[in-house]
Amino acid sequence: MLHKRLLAILAFQVVGVFFPAHAQSASPIALNVYVGGQQRPDIMRDLFAQYTALHPGIKISLEVGGATSELSQKYLNMVLTAKDSTLDIFLIDIIRPAQFAAARWAEPLDSYLGSEHEAYLSRFLPAYREATTVGGKVIALPALADSLFLYYRKDLLAKYGELPPATWPELARVAKKIQQGEADPNLQGLSFQGKAVEGAVCTFLLPYWSLGGEIIRDGKTSFERGKAEAGLNMWRKMVSDGVAKKNSAEVGTDDTRKEFQAGRVVFGVIWGYAWNHFQSGADTRVKDKVGVIKLPAMPGGKSVSCMGGWNWAVSAYGKHKAESVALVRWLASPEVSKQLALKGSFHPVFPSVYKDPEVLAAAPWFADALPVVETARPRPVTPMYRAISDALRINTNTVMAGVKTPQQALDEIEQRVARALR
Amino acid sequence: MNNFFTAKRLRWVAAAIVLLNGFFPAVWILFTSLKNEVELTAKPITYWPQNPVLSNYVAAFRDQPLPGYLLNSVIVACLSMLLALFISTLAAYAIARLNLKRRNLILTGIIAVSMFPLVTLMVPLFEIMRGLNLLNSYTALVLPYTVLNLPICTLILVSFFQDIPRDIENAAMIDGCTRLGALWHVVMPLAAPGVFTAGILAFVNAWDEFLLSMSMNAAVAYRTLPVGIQMYQGEFSFPWPTISAALVIALVPVVTVILIFQERVVSGLTSGGLKG
Amino acid sequence: MATRTLRDRLLDPGETALAWALLSPALLFIIVIVAYPVATLVINSFFDIRLSRGLPITFIGFDNYAAAFADSMFWRAVKNTLIITFVTVPGALVVGLGLAMLANMPFRFRGPIRLALLLPWALPLAFVGLIFAWFFHSEYGIINDLIRRFGGEPRIWFNSPGLTMMAICIATIWKTSSFMALILLAGLQTIPASLYEAAEVDGASKWTQFTEITLPLLVPSMLVALIFRTLTAIQSFDIPFSMPGPGEESQTLAMYIQLNTVDYLDLGYGSTLAVFMFMLSMATTFVYLRYVRGDKD
Repeated sequence: MLHKRLLAILAFQVVGVFFPAHAQSASPIALNVYVGGQQRPDIMRDLFAQYTALHPGIKISLEVGGATSELSQKYLNMVLTAKDSTLDIFLIDIIRPAQFAAARWAEPLDSYLGSEHEAYLSRFLPAYREATTVGGKVIALPALADSLFLYYRKDLLAKYGELPPATWPELARVAKKIQQGEADPNLQGLSFQGKAVEGAVCTFLLPYWSLGGEIIRDGKTSFERGKAEAGLNMWRKMVSDGVAKKNSAEVGTDDTRKEFQAGRVVFGVIWGYAWNHFQSGADTRVKDKVGVIKLPAMPGGKSVSCMGGWNWAVSAYGKHKAESVALVRWLASPEVSKQLALKGSFHPVFPSVYKDPEVLAAAPWFADALPVVETARPRPVTPMYRAISDALRINTNTVMAGVKTPQQALDEIEQRVARALR
Repeated sequence: MNNFFTAKRLRWVAAAIVLLNGFFPAVWILFTSLKNEVELTAKPITYWPQNPVLSNYVAAFRDQPLPGYLLNSVIVACLSMLLALFISTLAAYAIARLNLKRRNLILTGIIAVSMFPLVTLMVPLFEIMRGLNLLNSYTALVLPYTVLNLPICTLILVSFFQDIPRDIENAAMIDGCTRLGALWHVVMPLAAPGVFTAGILAFVNAWDEFLLSMSMNAAVAYRTLPVGIQMYQGEFSFPWPTISAALVIALVPVVTVILIFQERVVSGLTSGGLKG
Repeated sequence: MATRTLRDRLLDPGETALAWALLSPALLFIIVIVAYPVATLVINSFFDIRLSRGLPITFIGFDNYAAAFADSMFWRAVKNTLIITFVTVPGALVVGLGLAMLANMPFRFRGPIRLALLLPWALPLAFVGLIFAWFFHSEYGIINDLIRRFGGEPRIWFNSPGLTMMAICIATIWKTSSFMALILLAGLQTIPASLYEAAEVDGASKWTQFTEITLPLLVPSMLVALIFRTLTAIQSFDIPFSMPGPGEESQTLAMYIQLNTVDYLDLGYGSTLAVFMFMLSMATTFVYLRYVRGDKD
């Protein structure tokens, strides 16, 4: 008898090795939060500790995923396709809310916000509020802001008596003058992303938007070939004139950062994370020589930037939605935004925080950053974003590589956008 | 011609080619792991590290739980190897020895498993594992990897079993052994090289796998090495020196295993395995 | 006496039952992990399942198949997959044979040679892709540096679809030739030395010995290695994925399936593409099996 029972216990333990129990006992409510590896899990854990100190009935665990937006999304796609309930909250890229809304993966937050709905949402930067509202429903709450900036070498521009340019041709002229003056074959006038990374979507969109082009207008494709072609030709000219380097099709986001940091670039188009590297990176050669300004416009166009950032969404399959929403509301508060700015130099999603003296003391450049962030526009809002993104970035890359003419690339973009939105 | 072929220096050339081909990438990442980021992007590129630094190794351990990834990979690879060996030994014995109609058809059927890559089966597999509440567990990888290895293991073991004279087995059974007793006490020891070869193939295949592992076990506690190495890259950054350091560390156990078992791998393949 | 009873026992129907019992774990695993998912995929291929749109799942017959035939990206992926297969399978065989013969020479220190032979095989595919992508980087890669040192014109490898495919094939051959070499080395060592000695006496040249003795006796080992190598070549994913060329010019079928299924969440179309891959694999296996059988008769 005893023998049998021992055997049963042993078998149970063996089974336990293979089938670990996920469900935990109920007493404190356990919330599982997913963030990507790049969003400073250490800071997130610290925030959660603060929250659980305020709310003893809540336990928060953190699941740290892939360090890129795409790796994270691959995982969330798998988990949510399977309607998995283990994640309660996830931090999603600014380009995702439409997909999460259409697939009904994110719990709409309107009913939880109740009467203070308007007052609550009006505090966010307007573009972020828009990007997280899909079909009239609040799908996520903005967490971290970002945008493309034009970084420039203050010292070099001053040396040649030039002001920061307002248009792309102006930029090319200034860059050329400095390149010739410095007589350094390794000095690039401009560095931008021509590699088929997500950043290349913005490379495509910057001049296109500047001319007033849209990919999707009122839910329908509204692709304007002329404007797209002008944009691609502008970039190609940068390469053929020697302003940008020949292998621009190989340049990813961090390549721009590294080369600017090594003092080999006059103008760099890149996200906000680069600033800290330029100012305090171990081997920076551009400390205190960098300025940021709005992105140049196309001739006759306006200045626009590409919006980045991350949002908190609550899983539609989660088991503790009310508690999750409460946590998310706390995480998307000006106080937390300020902490994120101070500890991780993340751009705040509240205009008020940019003007906070403490924040400005820690990151004086936020004063220059706010006007740029305010010109930032969300990339096409559609549940099929990934397919649109691929169409744009891949064809931008093939044009930069010289494999396709702009005409061929535009044909393929049109074809793929149409298929994605069928 | 003959003199030329037997010349000692030709052997040296041959050795140089084989060594260069096998070691060069590993040596290159070893060098890379000792360079800092500035040296890495220097023009022209440097071969030998100019100012060797160990900081990348420190970073490799600091930025990610590398020992944990290693352990997970070892556990998953070992468990799936053992399970694949167990299951394919039984199947191979049935196919090679027992009274079975259409044994070739059954063997072909098992080998046919290789036609369905895990990449394509990922979504249904994910749903199965979720249904069994197995996501983020060793089992979620051990089960698919076991199946991944069934064809090659079964094939190797079948040809080994066929090479073992039936008389030896029969003698054991006359002495009172059951069929399975004979399999365990007589056939298996004789087929040891084959079992060994099949095992190491299974181990390496499981050690290799990336995509399924990334999907099934995204949680850090169950991440395997190929997935873990990808985690060093950031949204925008690709820290080559740190990744190289992690790769070098990841190579150490593999090199150790090979150095210990290399003779047996080759002799296992030699004495009977994989003969079609 | 004893043999008779044994023969009786061998013919005992109980043995067939035992055989099936021994096969059952393997079959169970195959059913759960392979057959059931494959069946799901085949069924899904007849439906419109685009999860990210949140629309109801609808039966659409062969529409996904028709879409694949009209999809230039699908054909490009098939073309790339076939190129990789037709280049890297024979490539790995030739290089592997070379390595095996070199390694089969009488060396005093076998350890390092064996390690050199086994190392590429034990290096995970994902790492190989990363490492070779770095080798071929136009500015920081060693390949261009060597070209420059020998006075050639450095190339921007990943700007050109052709050069990218070349780089992918080189990386794949490097990675896979080592396993090939391993199997062929094992085959070489089973060839009795007496055959060569006899040929030597007959005055056969080394080349004749190679074509008349070595190659024919290696054929069985080669065939098995080739079947598995071809199937994995058709499934190429990790290396091309880590070495992207311009746009998606070097996308393989496995990558396109993964893109449609996991990234676009178009499960219907992704399943259809998977079915095409199964058919490609089955056709290949069929050809090999015909050859193997024909060879044995």
